[in-house]
Amino acid sequence: MSGLSIGGSQLDASWFLILAAILFIIGTAGVLVRRNPLVILICIELMLNAANLTLVVFSLQLHNLEGQLFALMSMTVAAAEAVVGLAILVDIFHERDVEDIDELSEMKG
Amino acid sequence: MSTSQLALSVLLLPVVGAILLAGRGWRLPRTFTKIVGPGVVWASFVGTLALYFGNAHGDFTYWTWIKSGSLVVPFNLLVDNLSIFMCLVITGVGALIVTYSVGYMEHEDGPSYARFFTYMDVFIFSMLLLVLAGNFVFLIVGWAMVGLSSYLLIGFWYQRRSAVLAARKAFVMNVIGDVGMILGAFVLFVTYHAITYSGVFSHLGQQANCTRDLVLCGVGDSFNIELAAFFLLVGAVAKSAQLPLHTWLPDAMEGPTPVSALIHAATMVTAGVYLIGRMHPIYDIATYAHNTVAIVGAVTALFAATIAIVQTDIKRVLAYSTMSQIGYMFLAVGIGAYAAGFFHLLAHAFFKALLFMAAGNVIHAMHDEQDMRKYGGLFRQLPRTSWSFLIGSLALVGVIPLVGFFSKEQILGLALSKPDNSLALAVWVVGVVTALITGFYTGRMWWMAFGGKASPERPVAVPHEARLVMIVPVLILAVLSVVGGFIQTRALGIGPSSFSDFLVPVLGRVSWEEGAGVVIAGLVTMALATLLFLAAYRLYVERSWKPWSSRVPWAQRLLERKYYFDEIYDAAVVRPMDGLADVGLRDIEKPVFDGAVVGTGRAAVAGASSLSLTQSGYFRNYVLVFVGGAVVAAVLLLIRANS
Repeated sequence: MSGLSIGGSQLDASWFLILAAILFIIGTAGVLVRRNPLVILICIELMLNAANLTLVVFSLQLHNLEGQLFALMSMTVAAAEAVVGLAILVDIFHERDVEDIDELSEMKG
Repeated sequence: MSTSQLALSVLLLPVVGAILLAGRGWRLPRTFTKIVGPGVVWASFVGTLALYFGNAHGDFTYWTWIKSGSLVVPFNLLVDNLSIFMCLVITGVGALIVTYSVGYMEHEDGPSYARFFTYMDVFIFSMLLLVLAGNFVFLIVGWAMVGLSSYLLIGFWYQRRSAVLAARKAFVMNVIGDVGMILGAFVLFVTYHAITYSGVFSHLGQQANCTRDLVLCGVGDSFNIELAAFFLLVGAVAKSAQLPLHTWLPDAMEGPTPVSALIHAATMVTAGVYLIGRMHPIYDIATYAHNTVAIVGAVTALFAATIAIVQTDIKRVLAYSTMSQIGYMFLAVGIGAYAAGFFHLLAHAFFKALLFMAAGNVIHAMHDEQDMRKYGGLFRQLPRTSWSFLIGSLALVGVIPLVGFFSKEQILGLALSKPDNSLALAVWVVGVVTALITGFYTGRMWWMAFGGKASPERPVAVPHEARLVMIVPVLILAVLSVVGGFIQTRALGIGPSSFSDFLVPVLGRVSWEEGAGVVIAGLVTMALATLLFLAAYRLYVERSWKPWSSRVPWAQRLLERKYYFDEIYDAAVVRPMDGLADVGLRDIEKPVFDGAVVGTGRAAVAGASSLSLTQSGYFRNYVLVFVGGAVVAAVLLLIRANS
C-alpha cells in the first residue's frame, strides 16, 4: 500500500485505516455495553467518524474527491441523526428519568 | 324515432323504472312508487302499440358483444309480428296486473312495496328481452332472468319458510331448463357456426329442401337438429311447467297473487310456447322432437286437469288449470298449428289473468283465506268480482262466445282435421277429454266459492268488494275475454282469422283445412263441458248426488297426492343428494378442506408466537444481531475477494 503525503511527511495509509478500525470497534463496543442512552449516541458518532476517516483516507490515496464529498454528506446525516436521536431522548427524559436503555423495552413482541 | 330506437326503448323502459325504485327509491313518497311502477310498463305498452301500428319489422343490431373467431354475438333485437304480439301481451296484460298490484300490495311496508314493483319491472324487462332477442345468447339471458325474477317474486314474502322453499324449487327446476337451452344453442352453433336466429334459420332453409329428397343431401345434420330440438324442448318444458318438470308451478302459488297472474299464468310460463313457435323452422324438420311436443302437451293437459278436480286451494286449482291450458298450447304447436297455439296463449292471458286477479280480490276479502271450502255464497256479496270470475270461468270452459271457445276449439279442430295423422287424432281425443274435465273442475271451483250458502267456517261474514284500482283491471280483462274471440272465429268455420293472418309472415299458414264436421265436434265438446260445469252444482252446492270420490277413494287419494310426483322426486333425487351431501360434509369437507384451512391458520399463529420471542424490546439485542450480521457479511465479502 503506498504512503500518503500529509504536511510534507509520508505516512503509510494502513495506519489511518487501523486507527479507523480501532475507533469503530470502540464505538461498537460502547453501543453494545454502555447503558446510558446519551453515551450510546456518542458512541454512534464515534462509529460514524471512523467511517468518515476511512472515506477521507481512501479519497486521498486514490486521488478521488468523491470520498471527501461523501464524508461531508455523512457528517450532515450524522448531524441530522444526532438532532432526531437527542430530540427523542429529551422527550423521553421529560416523561421519566432513564438511566438504563433496557428500561425502554415496552415495544417487545 | 326510428324503429330500432323505439324497440330498444320498449325494452329498456321497465329497467328505468326498476332502477328508480331500487335501492333508496322507497324513501320517496309512496305515490312515487305507485306512479313509476306501473307507469313504465304502460309507457312500454304504448311503445309496443306504436310498433304494432307502425307495421314495424326488422332485425336491428345495436352493437357486437363478443367477437372471437367464428363466434360473433351481436346484441340484436328481432322485431316481427310474433315478437310484437308477445310484447303486446306482456306489456298490455302486464300493465293491467302491475296496476292491480298497486291496490293488492297496499298492506306492505315502504321498502317491501317498492321492492315488489322493482321485481315486477325487472320481470317485464327480462320477458321483453326473451321475446325480442334476435340471437340465442340473449334469448338465454332473458330466459334465465325471467327465472330469476320468478324466484325473487315467489319468495317475496321471505319470512315464510314455505315461500322460500317454493322459490328454491322453482329456481332449480328452471335451471334444468336453462341448461337444456344452453346445450341446444351449443349444438346449433357447432352445427351451423351461427348464433343469431337468421344465421341458423338460413341454413335450415336448405335443410328443409333436403328432407324432400333425402338421397340428394346427407342426413348428417338431421341428428344434430333433433338433438338441438330436444334440448330446447327441455328448456320449454321446464319454463312452461309441463311434465315431467312441472312440480314447481303449484308451489309457486306461495307468491303474491299478482305474481301468479302475471308470471305464472299470463306470460312467463307461456315462454315455452313462444320458444317452440320461434324455433318452428327447427321443429318443422325435427319430426321426433315435434311429435314429443304434442305428446307432452296433451299428457300434461289431461294430467293437470285431473289434479285440479281435487284441489281445495283456489290458487292451486288455477295453477293446475294453467298447466293444463299450456298443455293445449304445446299440443297446438306440436301438431304444427302454431298460430292457433298463440291464439290460445292470448286467450289464456286474458282469462287466466282475470281469474287470478278476481281470486286475489276474493282472497283479500276473505282475509287471506285460500281454502274454497271455507268460502261459499260470495256471488251476491261480491257482485263485480263474481261476474268477472264467472266470465273468466266460462272462458276457461270454452263457452260461446267467449274467447276461450274460439281458441281452444280451433286447436282441437285443427288436431281432428289434420290429415293422415294418427298422433293428431290421439291428442284430439286427449284434448276433448281434458276439455270435459276442465268444465267439471271449473264448475266445482265456481260453485264452491261463489254458489250456495256461506260456509260456517268463513272468516268474514260480510266481505267488502275490492277497491277501484283492483276492480278496473279485472273488468277490462273481462271485457277482453268476451270480445277477444271475435278477432278469430275460425273455430265456427266462418268469420275472420285476423290473428292467424297477423302471424303468417313469421309462422306461415296451416297446411290443411278444417272440415265442417269439426265445427259440430267443437260445439258438442262445448255443450258437454258446459253440462259438466252445471253438474258440479248438484255435487258441490245441492249435494243431491253422492260425491264421486266415495265410489273410488283410491283415485281421489292418487289425485290429492298429485300422482306422487313430489314423493318420487324426493325419493329419487332430493334424498340421495342430501345423503351424498351429508357424506361429503362429514368425510371430505370437514377433515380435508376444513383441516387444510384451519391447519394453515394454526401454523401461522404458532410461527408468529415463536418468532415474536426474538422481539425482546432490548436495544442491545437488536444492535448485537445487527453487528453480528454485518460481521458475517464482511467475512463473506472477504472470502469472496480472496478466492
